[in-house]
Amino acid sequence: MELVVRKNDLLRELQLFQGIVERKNTIPILANVLIDANGSQVKLLATDLEVALRSTCSASVAKSGSLTLPAKKLYEIIKALPETDVRILEDKSGVRVAADHFDSRIQTLPREDFPSLPDATGNGRAALPRSALKEMVAKTQFAITGEDTRYFLNGAKFVMKPDSLTLVATDGHRLALVEVEHKLGVKEESGVILPKKTLLELGKLLLEGDDDVMFESGENHLFFEVGGRMLISRMIDGQFPAYERVIPKGNDKHIEFDRERLTNAVKRVALLSNERSRAVKLEIKKGKVDVTSSSSEFGEAREELSVDFTGAPLTISFNAQYVLDFLNVVDSDVVMLSLKDEVSQAVMKPVGTKGYDYTYVIMPMRI
Amino acid sequence: MDAFYASVEQRDDPALRGRPVAVGGDPDKRGVVAAASYEARTFGVRSAIPMARAVRLCPSLVIVRPNFAKYRAVSQEVFGIFRRVTPLVEPLSLDEAYLDVTENAWGEPLGTRVARRLKDEIHEATGLTASAGVAPNKFLAKIASGWQKPDGLTVIPPERMEHFLQGLPVDALWGVGPVTARKLRARGIDKLVDIRATDATVLRETVGSLAEWLQQLAQGVDDRPVISDHDPKSSGNESTFAEDLRDLQTIRREIQEMAADAAAWLVRHERYARTVTIKVRYHDFETITRSHSDAPTRETDAIVKRALTLLERTEAGQRPIRLLGVSVHNLGTEIAAPPAEPQGRLPFDDEQVMSG
Repeated sequence: MELVVRKNDLLRELQLFQGIVERKNTIPILANVLIDANGSQVKLLATDLEVALRSTCSASVAKSGSLTLPAKKLYEIIKALPETDVRILEDKSGVRVAADHFDSRIQTLPREDFPSLPDATGNGRAALPRSALKEMVAKTQFAITGEDTRYFLNGAKFVMKPDSLTLVATDGHRLALVEVEHKLGVKEESGVILPKKTLLELGKLLLEGDDDVMFESGENHLFFEVGGRMLISRMIDGQFPAYERVIPKGNDKHIEFDRERLTNAVKRVALLSNERSRAVKLEIKKGKVDVTSSSSEFGEAREELSVDFTGAPLTISFNAQYVLDFLNVVDSDVVMLSLKDEVSQAVMKPVGTKGYDYTYVIMPMRI
Repeated sequence: MDAFYASVEQRDDPALRGRPVAVGGDPDKRGVVAAASYEARTFGVRSAIPMARAVRLCPSLVIVRPNFAKYRAVSQEVFGIFRRVTPLVEPLSLDEAYLDVTENAWGEPLGTRVARRLKDEIHEATGLTASAGVAPNKFLAKIASGWQKPDGLTVIPPERMEHFLQGLPVDALWGVGPVTARKLRARGIDKLVDIRATDATVLRETVGSLAEWLQQLAQGVDDRPVISDHDPKSSGNESTFAEDLRDLQTIRREIQEMAADAAAWLVRHERYARTVTIKVRYHDFETITRSHSDAPTRETDAIVKRALTLLERTEAGQRPIRLLGVSVHNLGTEIAAPPAEPQGRLPFDDEQVMSG
């Protein structure tokens, strides 16, 4: 194999592979990216067996062929090179990566060891609107648990209905759900559970460009084609909890907050919250909400926010981080908190958003 | 664990590191080798051979008397790591166990990663290396674990199973000793897969009761579950009825009896249960479970009441039922609930529809 590629073209692709390759080095080949040069392009592929990414990059190929190189090392090298043409070639001495006056020989692993991955068949392909998908991923992925024995919670549920798309994630304490109205052309409702890593990598791919994402659900894999790149993900097996049931319908106390002021108040007050529980209390009274905290070790804090509220006083506590997680991803000026009482699920929503409906459910703390 | 006793001794005595070490009895008193370090193994020293022979094979062999109390302590540490990851740990010896990691505390979807992390944790906690085999069933996992030692990790994903089986000699199997292997070879059976083509009667004549088992293994089939010997994690019973149950009163009576049995089991085992689960299989084999968690209890009345309440969330009485079950989970030895978690949990039902 022998090819010449622009440094920046290759770097842009390799960067996207850094999150994909396996870090723990359990199976050495999974740390490598498969480089397949043919015609006027190179195809790149890497996987950790959970998520895989295929992409391409234009190049002038002098001799076609394929080989594998360690993704991280290759990225570091390409990144360190000046903006110029990079030559990758295989000769008797091994695989060489060279540019300008720089020359290197990199250890390779047999191409045959690289796992084979399923291909999208094109059956049941659906176009998903990119901007909506971007919102959905950004606004739910933080609610996925890292490590839960109920392993189906280690992913987010993606539901496709005839006229809407929903992505929902929960860690059992709070739940984030984004629904987007969209005529997908499907007749029946279907759903899959996407691993956390898939959402993370999908989120990165969605950043640049604005064309639709082509989605396909295979037997065990999901395919997302984003701007010429293909993200392949395993599906998580299992039954996602019946999330509709924990979204309260009858919360009748509604309080609107200026998002920025609420965010700042919670951030400041949380500095003196109990280090372990991170609890902040909302003391809701006529016309105002006091955000308070106390820590036996450090002291206590209070910040008053004026609100339009006329009901009976009510005090409710939340984990400050859960509240901030929500506030950090919404961009509306106003957010609404809806409550039933001190102990039942609270709902937070951005006010006045267009194109999507965002529901965030938090279980209060018992204090 | 790799060369377990010997590795523990080498860990604790720097003077033994890099030297051929055998843990075992006195060579003059017919002692045998209980464990040999990898250095000793290059001389042909193996566990279970007479120590006198071991010394002849390797004159520089350092013999260390076994200290089982110490090995047990290390073993407990290692098993502690296992049990934090999954309750399904089946010990084979002080230093070997099967783990079912289909569901694991780390939420790792891949067995390979669980194995890698376990190896790391073991190394961090004990300074010792372990070898792991990851496979869809016990017999393949066992073989895989011995494939690369020390500090090995061999994975047989389902799609590679056939390839792996093709290369397996019959004596690689646990339970096939040299004698059985010789008998099989005499019949032209060198490899495990050769059994597939062997006539069942011939096989039975050759290896007796082992025949059926070997036939299964030759297909890569091993359905034995990983059986944990440790603390019971749950108890329950279920019955399939000769005739489908339609009458709600009868169904309630059955549930009541099974719940009372579960309570009696808790009393016998000095356990309290937080979770009561019922299982209902309808006439068409659709199977559902319903669970409820609350303060720990072993009171018959409380458990019966919870089970009957769960029954209301089924279609009992409307759809004929062929099987009912009641079980108790989340067992503890204390009645006191763990300190109330200040962070509330969203009220999901712990229920799942399972395939019948």
